[in-house]
Amino acid sequence: MPVRRLSIVFCATAALLVVGFLLTSCGGNDDARTTIETTTRTQPTISTTTDTTTTTTTTTPVVDQPTIVRVGVVGGAPQGGIVRQTVRKGDRVQLIVTSDVADHVHLHGYDITRSVAAGETARIRFEATVPGRFEVELEDRGAQIADLTVRP
Amino acid sequence: MNLLAHGLGGVRDLPVPESLFFTTAAIVLVVSFVLLGALWRRPLLDRHDEGQRLAGVLQAVLLSRALRIVLGALSVALLVLAMATALLGTTLELLNFAPTFVYVIFWLGLPLLSVLLGDVWRVLSPWRAIADATVWAIERTGRVAGPVLDSPWRYGRYPAAVALFAFVALELAHPRPAYPRTLGVAIALYSYWALAGMAVFGRDSWTKGGEGFAVAFSILSRIAPFAVRDGAIVVRWPFTGLAGAERVPGTLVFVAVLLGSTSFDGFSRSTTWQNLLGDVRANVADESQWVVDLATTFVSVVGLAVFVGAVVFTYLVAVSSARLLVHAPRSLASEFVLPLVPIALAYLVAHYFSLFLIQGQFIFTLVSDPFGRGRDLFGTVDFAPNLAIVSPETVWYVQVAALVVGHVAGLAIAHDRAVSLFENRRDALRSQYPMLGLMVLYTVGGLWLLSQG
Repeated sequence: MPVRRLSIVFCATAALLVVGFLLTSCGGNDDARTTIETTTRTQPTISTTTDTTTTTTTTTPVVDQPTIVRVGVVGGAPQGGIVRQTVRKGDRVQLIVTSDVADHVHLHGYDITRSVAAGETARIRFEATVPGRFEVELEDRGAQIADLTVRP
Repeated sequence: MNLLAHGLGGVRDLPVPESLFFTTAAIVLVVSFVLLGALWRRPLLDRHDEGQRLAGVLQAVLLSRALRIVLGALSVALLVLAMATALLGTTLELLNFAPTFVYVIFWLGLPLLSVLLGDVWRVLSPWRAIADATVWAIERTGRVAGPVLDSPWRYGRYPAAVALFAFVALELAHPRPAYPRTLGVAIALYSYWALAGMAVFGRDSWTKGGEGFAVAFSILSRIAPFAVRDGAIVVRWPFTGLAGAERVPGTLVFVAVLLGSTSFDGFSRSTTWQNLLGDVRANVADESQWVVDLATTFVSVVGLAVFVGAVVFTYLVAVSSARLLVHAPRSLASEFVLPLVPIALAYLVAHYFSLFLIQGQFIFTLVSDPFGRGRDLFGTVDFAPNLAIVSPETVWYVQVAALVVGHVAGLAIAHDRAVSLFENRRDALRSQYPMLGLMVLYTVGGLWLLSQG
């Protein structure tokens, strides 16, 4: 093949792939929206794995009231910036997210996802068994709304 | 979902305030600098770079054609599997084989492997294997297999820097980098870049200057205690491969992409950056989702480019000041690039080792069900990863240690270069003051970023 025709073939293939990339980049959203509910299904549960490794420190916390973390989302962004909260390991936590946009609230690390409709509230209750710093995100937008620190 | 945010964050109950770590790290660097000046008077690295040949039997096995073919076939199979799972498997990022394989096992595992074992990508690259097989097949039919263009390569490492930047932009700036379909097309696109480049410019030219991963792993492998010399494997002291100047154009930019992207990754998880992105989103909140995505992607790419640019800029300022201090007749820009390589490694380790240890474990469950269709091919689906494998304090101490060791190594390599470059010992030392400043800046900046992240 002459070089000119070859270069046309090369460029056309590249262009095709780039267009495909852009299309999938935009298209990803709807798919993720419908299927994300099932993420919690097969994620290995965190509590079982950590309990075995840190049995010495689990001295049955007698905490009755969960720590409440409230986040108000306006226009896809957290009101007053990213909400920061620190709890102790073993605390129970309730995350309450009120949002004016429909999205999914995702607590990283613990991998808990709840959908939230526009103007509604999503609640995530969990026991902070793993120490670390964890992001809370509006999943579809990829926007961080809270920053949860669990101290050991 | 940001797959990379799944590593343990940097929570720690530190016995002392963070600022004390910054000061200590800076003091360690200054003390190392003084010791280097007092004790390291002649170049040492170059002399030990030759190394010793491995035993003949090992050579024969490790460099054998059979091993090359087996590894090549395996890596092509993995490439096909990653592309197939990405394009056809579940769209749930954490249940699909491809995202964890590409971003964790491949992108974090191979730098580690290269630093420990040498330039293994030469035999592990699926694209090189495909190209080699194609050439072999063409030559078997009696035809000549040559590149489309015969002209010599004169683009340095710039095309590779562009390729690497594209990859890190996908990883760090794309709104959904781990979304399997996007990733699948990205793998196809990169494979095309790698294969078409080799077809047009020749296999060796493209591997050295165009294929981003090949260049990254080969640069990092200069740290390794193993290397191939004249068709034989040699054992040498680690880091000795970084002696000397690096005159291939584009190397500085390439290393800057490596360094800048990792530090930007740390910064992009800080509250400052997330709030800025939040403001951007709030400004375009009324638009449709793709406008919002476009806006945040654009801002992130700019942020990434600024970090890469900052590395290039600070380095050039340091070498220009060094030139002024010693009245050097020509630019020193190509003399002190390689000392940046251990720093790039330090940043990789500091930012990603917890992610590698934690998210990496999921590959065991993923190989049993790569498409996320509820299969259990190897009986490992119920494998429960130990997410508490490293404590947050360990993470922090490893991060601090990696940064300090990496920068001291950088300082030592730069010093070695200086004493071989300048006859006069005074000049050698003076040329290193700006390098010390640069290293202190990078260390403290790096620690600050880590403490934010």
